[in-house]
Amino acid sequence: MSELEYVGKSVPRKDGPEKVTGKALYTTDLRPPGMLTGCILRSPHPHAKILNIDVSRAKSAPGVKAVVTGQDTLGIKHAFVETPRYPPDQYPLAMDRVRYVGEEVAAVAASDLDAAEEALSLIRVDYEPLPAVFDPIEAMDPSAPEVHPNHPKIKESFHNIGGKTESAWGNVEEGFARSHIVMENRFESHLRTHGYLEPQVTLAAIEPNGKLNVWTSSQGPFIKRAKLARTLGLPESSVRVQKTYVGGAFGGKIDLFSHEYCAALLSMRTFRPVKITASREDIFCAYRHGQPLIVEVKTGVRKDGTLEAQQFRVINSCGAYRGSGVVVIFLSWGFAMLPYRVPNLRYEGYAVYTNNPIRCPQRGHGAPQMRFAIESQLDMIAEALNIDPVEIRLRNARHSQEQLPNGDNVHNCGLSDCIREAAGHTELKQKYGRGRAEGSTGRYKRGIGIGVSAYFGGSLIYPNSSSVVVKMNDDGTATVLTGALDIGQGAETILCQIVAEELKIPIDQVQVIAADTETTPVDIGSWISGNAYVTGNAARVAAGEVRKKLLELAAEALEANIGDLVVDEKSVYVTGSPESRLTYQQLLAAGVAKNRGDPVIGEGHWRTMRDEPAHPSLATTKGRWSENYAFDAQVAEVEVDTETGKVRLLRAVTAHDCGFPINPLLVQGQIDGQVSMALGHALMEEVVMENGQTLNPNWLEYRMPCIHNLAPSEHIDVITESFEVGRAYRTKEVGEGYVSAILAAIANAIYDAIGVRLYSTPFTPEKILRGLGKLK
Amino acid sequence: MKTIIELNINDEVFEMVIEPRTTLLEVLREHLAFTGTKEACGTGECGACTVLIEGKPKLACLTLAAECANTRITTIEGLVHDGQLTPVQQAFLEKGAVQCGFCTPAMVLTATALLEENPNPTEYDIKKALEGNLCRCTGYNKIMEAIREAAKSGESARNRK
Repeated sequence: MSELEYVGKSVPRKDGPEKVTGKALYTTDLRPPGMLTGCILRSPHPHAKILNIDVSRAKSAPGVKAVVTGQDTLGIKHAFVETPRYPPDQYPLAMDRVRYVGEEVAAVAASDLDAAEEALSLIRVDYEPLPAVFDPIEAMDPSAPEVHPNHPKIKESFHNIGGKTESAWGNVEEGFARSHIVMENRFESHLRTHGYLEPQVTLAAIEPNGKLNVWTSSQGPFIKRAKLARTLGLPESSVRVQKTYVGGAFGGKIDLFSHEYCAALLSMRTFRPVKITASREDIFCAYRHGQPLIVEVKTGVRKDGTLEAQQFRVINSCGAYRGSGVVVIFLSWGFAMLPYRVPNLRYEGYAVYTNNPIRCPQRGHGAPQMRFAIESQLDMIAEALNIDPVEIRLRNARHSQEQLPNGDNVHNCGLSDCIREAAGHTELKQKYGRGRAEGSTGRYKRGIGIGVSAYFGGSLIYPNSSSVVVKMNDDGTATVLTGALDIGQGAETILCQIVAEELKIPIDQVQVIAADTETTPVDIGSWISGNAYVTGNAARVAAGEVRKKLLELAAEALEANIGDLVVDEKSVYVTGSPESRLTYQQLLAAGVAKNRGDPVIGEGHWRTMRDEPAHPSLATTKGRWSENYAFDAQVAEVEVDTETGKVRLLRAVTAHDCGFPINPLLVQGQIDGQVSMALGHALMEEVVMENGQTLNPNWLEYRMPCIHNLAPSEHIDVITESFEVGRAYRTKEVGEGYVSAILAAIANAIYDAIGVRLYSTPFTPEKILRGLGKLK
Repeated sequence: MKTIIELNINDEVFEMVIEPRTTLLEVLREHLAFTGTKEACGTGECGACTVLIEGKPKLACLTLAAECANTRITTIEGLVHDGQLTPVQQAFLEKGAVQCGFCTPAMVLTATALLEENPNPTEYDIKKALEGNLCRCTGYNKIMEAIREAAKSGESARNRK
């Protein structure tokens, strides 16, 4: 095996120079000639019938070029999930009813923002307000107003059930009966938002030949193209979604949004480019946030801490339309069964319609909420059994090659090493319990806690697979064509590293053309944690094909067997004779002569679980979920001010089985960012909603971590896989798995510091002081 | 009523027709296509629109263009000379302080102004200078590292002189 030159190295990101110089163009920066500004009129009511919309005054207002309402659309519904069980439930513009404050009712295109906003104020909508419901438990009551009276729902004795996931194995009752102790708790999480800096923004421009060009701040162009084409009634080939830089997404920019549809429709009406930019207030009030879950968990364990049985009931308020609400209740099942062996498990999850804005994936997509519940309870169990928190986790951690109850295999699993490394590095066993033991005199108490989590890398959801084309240029450099969209995680950089390694071409001589539905092949998207594994392997296969062609040319030119050839520094030589090498440039010239001009191009394809027909059942969890699982253990050390109730995160250690890091610098960046996001989740951030209306729609009142809240973040790589040229690899995801265990670790560390167990996020001073008995 | 003003941006003078309420951000982005200056909130909360006015970081979204006549404005486009990245830009690149990049121009400008005024900042000095700039991707760890590195390389450059 030759030494790796590019993979595994901390290479600075490819797009870095463009970004540090301000040259990188984001959707919000685009301004083609003749561009109009679009604006959207939103519902002020959480639930109402639309009786009439009068746009006549708006249409004749100065500068206004077009006004559209639901009546101007084809009335085709769409949704994040579109299956026979869960048919789409949302119009791109409301038709006869609005179901949340901020739902899109009409859109205007005008010469500038002032004219567009003026026109919005001239649209008259007559509403008949209807009773609304906001709390998922209340919404489940048979007396609650129905959010979707006529849309197919799940047959249940409860009301407003948008989706349900049920899964079970073993015999939970027998498991509980066998258990030494059984503990039952309820945990709740709260509403947070993604906090991407670049607003939601779309530019659409129709060409005279009917082609619709779209630039949109997103997480992958292919799903946008598919949904835009379908809702607009256009063939997919008439819609081209092109690359722009993306200013953060974190799960919030995957699905089709009304502003994307409206920009396209308005451009088709006016034959001019139309850009719609959401204001930050709109994003806080009307756009999609993450998903608070109510998690009821009952766990039975043997005397030695071995898990015997676990039962879950998870309730999700999915908002006025399904959004990803039915996905999160499926994934929550997965995050419950992944890291620990549970011989008997029963799970039921409900997605409940309410009159809140729609909910969407948010980094971790259910894992933080589930791991917070499970890991908190596990610490409670450990204490009751007088086992330390490290031992109880090691006892139940899955091992390499274990089969999951759904038939998946965890393959190489470094979880036990992660737990040992994280605990050992922080001296957790020595420190644990000290905070509570050290008397009650000091104002500041310190505590330490651990959490464990696991995450999948890639699953089968449209577009399912990735393809990559690598083409050699006559000067011996390479160009990569990929549908992958770099949203900041470094997708383009790692694909370059992989191609560079396979072909031994310096990274700066590998160019990338990316994320264009017209010119680049299909890609799984930057939203299912599959880029490094799925798209990366496709790039490897494509580069491998190029390598093979170059070797064939070299074998003939050097009159040698392919097996005796060495690829090195953009050239090929016969083993032992590096001095008589042929450069790629020479080989390509020879190839052109020999093959009558045929160039050297390779294509690669990769689909996770290649032989599986489709994604697992969201209803029953049956079917394969993934073939790639990452594991981690995270330790938090905190300081609690017992006077004010404020918590500080002093240290965060992440020990993770990421397979192997393709780019350690990028991996560290992902971990630091996730720890920071979890810190915000734990201690700072909350979208406060009352009757479906956001009360804190800005960053002054929704407090994201600033540089003063920097969390000291340390990383330990547990390597379980490797990269070899010419061989398939299984590296694991690092983009969203590390927001979860650290959240639980913070909760457990707070308990360790002051003996207060928190059952809901965020961990506010008020809850701490209540727990300490200092607030009534 | 519209007025005509002269703006000195990156050592180039632009004659602009503006309304009294026009912000510097609007002039930079919409009128002159200096799109390296970003708008993420428009209400002075995130710092993404930071530019340097007379070398000091200012929020372009809260600054009226009319106030900026006869001042020296530096945007991210004005930092690079002869295609060479500045030490701060180089450090951001090499230390992994950039992810999505949307906050980066403002971060780079703020850090540049800091090191101009205070070439050997303490940890607290750096945090104080960047407290108004939100970044959602990095957790700030690598941004701190980059600025420390830029300070160090500035120091060694001065020692060589």
